[in-house]
Amino acid sequence: MILGIVVLNFFLIHLAPGDAASVLAGESGAASPEYMEQLRRKFGLDQPMATQFGVYLLNMLHLDLGYSFRNDSPVASLILDRLWPTSLLMLTAFGTALVIGTLLGLVAATGRNSWRDAVISLVSLVAYATPGFWLGLMMIVIFAIRLGWLPTSGFDTVGADNEGWDEVWDVGRHLVMPAVALSLFYLAVYARVMRASVLEQVGMDYVTTARAKGQTEARVMTGHVLRNALLPVVTMAGVQAGNLIGGSIVVETVFGWPGVGTLAFNALQSRDLNLLLGIFFVSACLVVVINLAVDLVYVCLDPRMEL
Amino acid sequence: MTDLSRRTVLALPLGLAAASNGASAAEPRRGGTMVMIVHPEPSTLAHYAVSAGNIPPIATQVYEGLCTYDWDLNPRPNLAKSWDVAADGKTITFTLQEGVTFHNGKPFTSADVQYSFMEILKKYNPIAPVMLAELVAVDTPDPMTAVLRLANPAPYIMKALSGRDLPILCRSVFEGTDVLQNPTANKPIGTGPFKFVSWERGQSVRLDRNESYWKPGLPYLNRIVARFIPDAATRSAAMEAGEAHFAGYSAVNYADLARMKTNPVLDLTTKGYEMTPAQSVLELNGRHPQLQKKAVRQAIAYAIDRNVILRDVMFGYGLPASGPLSRKFKTAGLYTDDVRQYDVPDRLEIANRLLDAAGAPRGAGGMRFALHLEVNSFGEQWLRQAEYLKQALVAVGIDVTLRSEDTATWLRRVYTNYDYDINEPFLSQGVDPVYGLNKQFLTSQIRKGVTFVNDTFYSNPEVDRMLGEGARELDPEKRGAIYKKVQQILAEDSPMIWLIDVQYVSVFNRRLKDHTTGPLGTQQAFERAWMDK
Repeated sequence: MILGIVVLNFFLIHLAPGDAASVLAGESGAASPEYMEQLRRKFGLDQPMATQFGVYLLNMLHLDLGYSFRNDSPVASLILDRLWPTSLLMLTAFGTALVIGTLLGLVAATGRNSWRDAVISLVSLVAYATPGFWLGLMMIVIFAIRLGWLPTSGFDTVGADNEGWDEVWDVGRHLVMPAVALSLFYLAVYARVMRASVLEQVGMDYVTTARAKGQTEARVMTGHVLRNALLPVVTMAGVQAGNLIGGSIVVETVFGWPGVGTLAFNALQSRDLNLLLGIFFVSACLVVVINLAVDLVYVCLDPRMEL
Repeated sequence: MTDLSRRTVLALPLGLAAASNGASAAEPRRGGTMVMIVHPEPSTLAHYAVSAGNIPPIATQVYEGLCTYDWDLNPRPNLAKSWDVAADGKTITFTLQEGVTFHNGKPFTSADVQYSFMEILKKYNPIAPVMLAELVAVDTPDPMTAVLRLANPAPYIMKALSGRDLPILCRSVFEGTDVLQNPTANKPIGTGPFKFVSWERGQSVRLDRNESYWKPGLPYLNRIVARFIPDAATRSAAMEAGEAHFAGYSAVNYADLARMKTNPVLDLTTKGYEMTPAQSVLELNGRHPQLQKKAVRQAIAYAIDRNVILRDVMFGYGLPASGPLSRKFKTAGLYTDDVRQYDVPDRLEIANRLLDAAGAPRGAGGMRFALHLEVNSFGEQWLRQAEYLKQALVAVGIDVTLRSEDTATWLRRVYTNYDYDINEPFLSQGVDPVYGLNKQFLTSQIRKGVTFVNDTFYSNPEVDRMLGEGARELDPEKRGAIYKKVQQILAEDSPMIWLIDVQYVSVFNRRLKDHTTGPLGTQQAFERAWMDK
């Protein structure tokens, strides 16, 4: 399957007009013909498409993602550098959204039509409708400029040379706003799905049975309802884990977060095809891995399922 | 050029710096980290081979040139102590600074100059085909003397000797390697006041103080960090929050400058761009049946109110362009505004009259003919400008459709496929007209597939001849006269519409002192910059 993605990506990308040499020359606002020819030769753009594809396939077979001429650096090391910040941001945002979203949904459902249900529904509706970049900018204005509590952007304090726990604390402070901005939308989605799912489960016969056996309300919830109610949330989470990579582009841009999202965006803009193909390949692998993980979670939650 | 002792050399720019910044009597303080915002993140630091404007702010901290420039754009000693241009203009003899070492410990000699010019700059530097076209050889009679031998006089070379334009590289680092694949492309090794330490992709470049820098006592800063923040609003926020101290080259959007100005911690300057002339222009496709007519091109030039663009798009920074050269060439005696004037009170009547006379009468709906305008993809302000241009041209009966595409598609459409009517590029003009004018107006520069060269198909044997003469003329007076005539002819022919002489702006934190000490501003080393408490 991944091989199919590799081939498809290659030809889709080459449909885009324009090449890396003209973009590079364009950014400098000036170029001579000799310079452009030299760039094209260096990038291998003077070769026929079939040769370019052959070279690419051969490299991929060796798990060599190629060289980004634009960045004067191997693609693999460019992506690896960015993978850690992106994973950190995504896992934090994903975890926050999943845990808090589920809890809110549960709280709302158990107090159906009460004031807390109303508040949670309202908040999740607003969070669902707010664009991430706007939320990010507002947070920067309030928490970074007005209050000065958090840094505006970046991964850590540049040039500070923090070590050990100082570094963790420093990165943590930088992580807060982007993680919140990225997670809020999903948090709202999980809260709503969870609420609906719990309400559905509470009406089921097995819950009535459990209550009839004299189990406490808390035991009914944790032991019976929760496990079943989580299934739709996990399904949703599996789908959205893939979307997170796309969603992170905007948030990474706003907060200057050195992640794969902005790398992909820049690569696309500058027609850095080797790099773009590399990112697609890594993302495709990630999505496959995440879906495997989701399947495993299913099995844990519902023993009736088999892998 | 007379021999200057090291002390006078150092004292001179220092005095200028103090005067320009109003930094008064305050004694420079050593230490501190300066954070500057560079946008967008450079793709490489090999600025000897790639000419993007975002590379020099970092690269010139590491790489130095033979000369620096004073505020009148005259060359001043740097790696070259002194120089002598032969009477026939065909040899330039440089006496080099002694006791200079590269960051890898290797001593700097004329062999490095020879290698840099002949093996790297002449072969790979993007400006070389124009600026170094006449360079035949570099002789090295002794380790401290380098002689540039030229086929024809090339006075403009003396304007391009800064670390930004023609940096001096370490021969032993490059010798025997593939220059374009050299690992120091992204880990530069030079003679400059700051040493390259690390590049966290997507985030920052760190440069530390060069303890053995050859100018005694310099630099003052311990460290420079270049930060990359893709979002414009966040770049402004980082300046406002005090996380960054300097944003040059208009890294802060023009739209945000008014707000920055009211911030007591920040200040702005337009100094430091005297050697960075650029214009925003409209290119007209000379193969279009209507745009082939001189009268139609002139009518378009009359129809546009440059002051509206200046006010609403550039937020007042810049000047309405008068012709093909930026006013920044006034200092060199090459600029003239004695050309056909298009900003006149009755310009709309003239435009309409010209269009009527050119055989393009108003038809149904009051429109004469329709054109596409390719929107510059480098930022929102170009879309604003295009929206205004549409309004202005519709008013004289030219129906304009805007076409927005991403950078690669835009460049391909305009410069490779020539599938455009009006294009709104932004053109940097280099340190000498030889660079900007030759690229845009020589017949030989109609080169399919090359960006930002002659794509208006302008071809005028007289202009070709004069641009050739201007490049070789040594007498400043005669040279000025040649370029004056060229500007008059071009303004009359209007193969392009010149809109704005662009003015970049630097935003800085008031704690940072002596940051802009010469006409290259952010594109030269911050060797004298220091941080106040």
